[in-house]
Amino acid sequence: MGANISQLEKDIGSEQFPCNEHYFGLVNFGNTCYSNSVLQALYFCKPFRDKVLEYKAKNKRTKETLLTCLADLFHSIATQKKKVGSIAPKKFIARLRKEKEEFDNYMQQDAHEFLNFLINHISEIILAERQTNTTNNSTGTTNNVNKSKGAAENGTANTAQNQNEPTWVQEIFQGILTSETKCLNCENISSKDENFFDLQVDIEQNTSITHCLRCFSNTETLCSDNKFQCDNCCSYQEAQKRMRVKKLPTILALHLKRFKYVEQYNRHIKVSHRVVFPLELRLFNTSDDAVNPDRLYDLVAVVIHCGSGPNRGHYISIVKSHGFWLLFDDDQVDKIDSSAIEDFYGLPSETQKSSETGYILFYQSRESL
Amino acid sequence: MTSLKNQNPRKKVQVSMVICDAEEKKHRSGVNAVQLDPHLDRLYSAGRDSIIRVHQHEKFIHGMEHHTDWVNDIVICCGGRNLISASSDTTVKVWNAYKGFCMSTLRTHKDYVKALAYAKDREHVASAGFDKAIYLWDINTLTALTASNNTVTTSSLTGCKESIYSLAMNPPGTVIISGSTERGLRIWDPRTCGKICKLKGHTETVKALVISRDGTQCISGSSDGSIKVWNIGQQRCIQTIIVHTDSVWALLVNESFTYLISGGRDKKVIMTDLKNIQNTILVCTEEAPILKMCFTADQQGVWVSTSSSTVRCWKLPTELHFKDDISFLSNQQISVIPGDAAIIKATVLNDKRHILTKDSAENVALYDVLRACRVQELGPVNYINEINTRNSEKLMYVPNWFNLDLKTGMLAIHLGQDEVDCFSAWVSAKEAGIKDHPEPDFKVNYGKLLLQALFEHWRGVQTDQENKVYFSVPRHIPLILSEIGGRTLYRVLVGDTAGDTENALLNETVPNWVISNIEDNTTTKFLKVQFYLKPDSSVPANLLKPDRLKKSDRLIANDFIQCRKVAEHVLDKLLGEGTATSPGSEGDVQSQTTNGYTLDQIQLLCADQPVDLLMDLRTVKHYMWKYSSDLVLHYKIFTK
Repeated sequence: MGANISQLEKDIGSEQFPCNEHYFGLVNFGNTCYSNSVLQALYFCKPFRDKVLEYKAKNKRTKETLLTCLADLFHSIATQKKKVGSIAPKKFIARLRKEKEEFDNYMQQDAHEFLNFLINHISEIILAERQTNTTNNSTGTTNNVNKSKGAAENGTANTAQNQNEPTWVQEIFQGILTSETKCLNCENISSKDENFFDLQVDIEQNTSITHCLRCFSNTETLCSDNKFQCDNCCSYQEAQKRMRVKKLPTILALHLKRFKYVEQYNRHIKVSHRVVFPLELRLFNTSDDAVNPDRLYDLVAVVIHCGSGPNRGHYISIVKSHGFWLLFDDDQVDKIDSSAIEDFYGLPSETQKSSETGYILFYQSRESL
Repeated sequence: MTSLKNQNPRKKVQVSMVICDAEEKKHRSGVNAVQLDPHLDRLYSAGRDSIIRVHQHEKFIHGMEHHTDWVNDIVICCGGRNLISASSDTTVKVWNAYKGFCMSTLRTHKDYVKALAYAKDREHVASAGFDKAIYLWDINTLTALTASNNTVTTSSLTGCKESIYSLAMNPPGTVIISGSTERGLRIWDPRTCGKICKLKGHTETVKALVISRDGTQCISGSSDGSIKVWNIGQQRCIQTIIVHTDSVWALLVNESFTYLISGGRDKKVIMTDLKNIQNTILVCTEEAPILKMCFTADQQGVWVSTSSSTVRCWKLPTELHFKDDISFLSNQQISVIPGDAAIIKATVLNDKRHILTKDSAENVALYDVLRACRVQELGPVNYINEINTRNSEKLMYVPNWFNLDLKTGMLAIHLGQDEVDCFSAWVSAKEAGIKDHPEPDFKVNYGKLLLQALFEHWRGVQTDQENKVYFSVPRHIPLILSEIGGRTLYRVLVGDTAGDTENALLNETVPNWVISNIEDNTTTKFLKVQFYLKPDSSVPANLLKPDRLKKSDRLIANDFIQCRKVAEHVLDKLLGEGTATSPGSEGDVQSQTTNGYTLDQIQLLCADQPVDLLMDLRTVKHYMWKYSSDLVLHYKIFTK
């Protein structure tokens, strides 16, 4: 360190700069900010970063997958000589474009769709690798690799025992939602569990995340043309249904549904509603038999959408690292004051079209910190 | 077809039938309501099997059949001459109670009608249900309705924001109360249709209500497990009675409002002294949750209906048991009307013609849809094993062509519902078991065969060979025409369809998709399967015609053709020397060939498995191919 010390290092102060930590921006390859913002958020989800680096250390010469590319990228950030700078995630983006047709272009993508794809895809890679290991070791049975598309289906299709053990991605992000349906005629309650990697939450103007989560678990009445087919009554009856969290994940990813389809315009419109997200969060919509209902969560990262629509605008992220907050805007990294987080809650009135709003929130369980 | 009806675009009409016995004397499923006519000492019971049955003591008198879904509530009116019923088929019906026929049908409600209330002094009845509406009817007007004079005016009580599950009105008709999923009670004056008040206190749905004669007090039973006594004038709850361990679903009170009988999900019937609610006596414990109760003519006993089909009468305690602390022996059964078992599970077998069912008594039976009857009673055998055994007898795939439901505890078969094409199942006459058909390989259509059988008597005698009726359904089978997912338009017994009135009504309601298929002989086309036919890698290229190497053979054939025909096609068209025709033309395959190979030298493979040449294409596609993409068949040649 000398005369060319960066502004970021100055802001943090060399005394305070955490050892073994690197703040590197990611170069934009033409509308790849949806990926950059999510990758930065995930890099600062400490349990995830640790596992990816561990994977890198364990798997030396394997064939290239999206996971090996991610591991290489994280490894290269973590082993930089400099403390700050920027890096080009070239290999990762190239691989991503090969893996999924939808991302193989220079258009703006939905950051949540990318996150969802990435987490599911990594989980599949780990399961597939586990499968190859067991088939190599024991009998030659060829089971189909679990090709779960969404969080909800994940883990249900596998019967082999080792396939049922959660992968480390599942251990970090996966929670369980339980939906309880009570037939209003016989009053029997049937419940069904579903795994999730993130909760997709509807939002309301001038509310908080806690309020939106409560609405998420509100009782819904199945009636009129949408009656419930009750197995006990052998007929369609009215029913009450609600979704509650049964297992709280280590990292809780909350996706605020800010892009709403409006039939009138035949396209998705951004909802810039002001939704306060606290630095500390406790869930109240847990089921009676929840495993860990009292988990206290800390906000660790936020992916922010800037602009007016889903296919335009820009994604940035803010992350918490060693007690202070940083803003990652592609290759730019700046230290921000925690009070600046308020700027990303949303707009209290509908006057402006464009806004910079929290889109995906990453809350980390305090026990795991 | 009648032009008037067709001008109004309406929902698609489906055709349904219920497979039942000629006489259904016993309730098949739960009994939602019981009412006693004290003059004749007759008990009316409203079944979930859609039938209202009449018993004198324990003797079956007759059944009242016209509803097409659960009968949810009944009231006896006009001194026993008439009966009003409310059903999940969204109608309210007016009956001649003595003779048991339906006089008129009120179609004002838009969803299940759940509850009725009766003001004896004024001969008024109120109906309410899931459409949140309460309608008030003047019974004298209802019973005077005729086919030509069938308009009726009604007043409605509005304000309910959620589905209504219970209703009560006092005999003079001055107060009416509704209970709903809103939890609060709503009270109106039926004379003015004005709101009186709303009573809050319950924390779950209010499912049972009774009211005092003068309309000053009422009692409510709720799914929150409590019973509340309300003073309507003061608009407050004066007593909360907690005697049940689960939801309270049924209440009954004596005329002087001094003691209360309650029943519910905990299967217990309990009598409570309203002057001192600490005094409670267990009347009986039933085998299933209690749905409704009524007094015997002498008020010494109580008839209890449950979600099981048997209705029992139990002895009630008297004042003496409360006052003098004389012990009462619970569970003293006075009489019983035994019910029958309801079908609770049904599985369509692979032939898509037979259905294996399991009833609430664990008995398994086999039904034939085409004949609308039970063909075999198997007793309490293992249901799953039986399905597997029967399905593995012969590997065959036939497309779905009907839907079924068990809401009445009997098999109901629906044609033309949703996405299921009722003309999709073609089988050979031989497979359908038609012995006297001139051509055993002639293709018949299950949907068409059943529709022909159902409308046999309506259409009259058919001389045309093409439309010959090979199957008949019993004359007692109810035939139901209804809007898909909506209301019933017409219900008639198959044997009655030839009658003049019935004939005219059918002419108005039978949908065009039925007429065009059973009458005009324009039955829909065969279903096609698209597939690729490729040589196995073992087939030497010199055996094939030169042009076969360049393009793949995409073929289209009827889904029921046997693979033998495909093998013949390979022999004739693909191996050298044959005369080339365009691939895809099927049928005119000749077995003589010029290339020296015979059929037994051809083997077809699907997903690397050898194909039985007697199997049809749809079966291969369903059981061997298993992918959603087009079927691919490979062929191999064995040299001699």
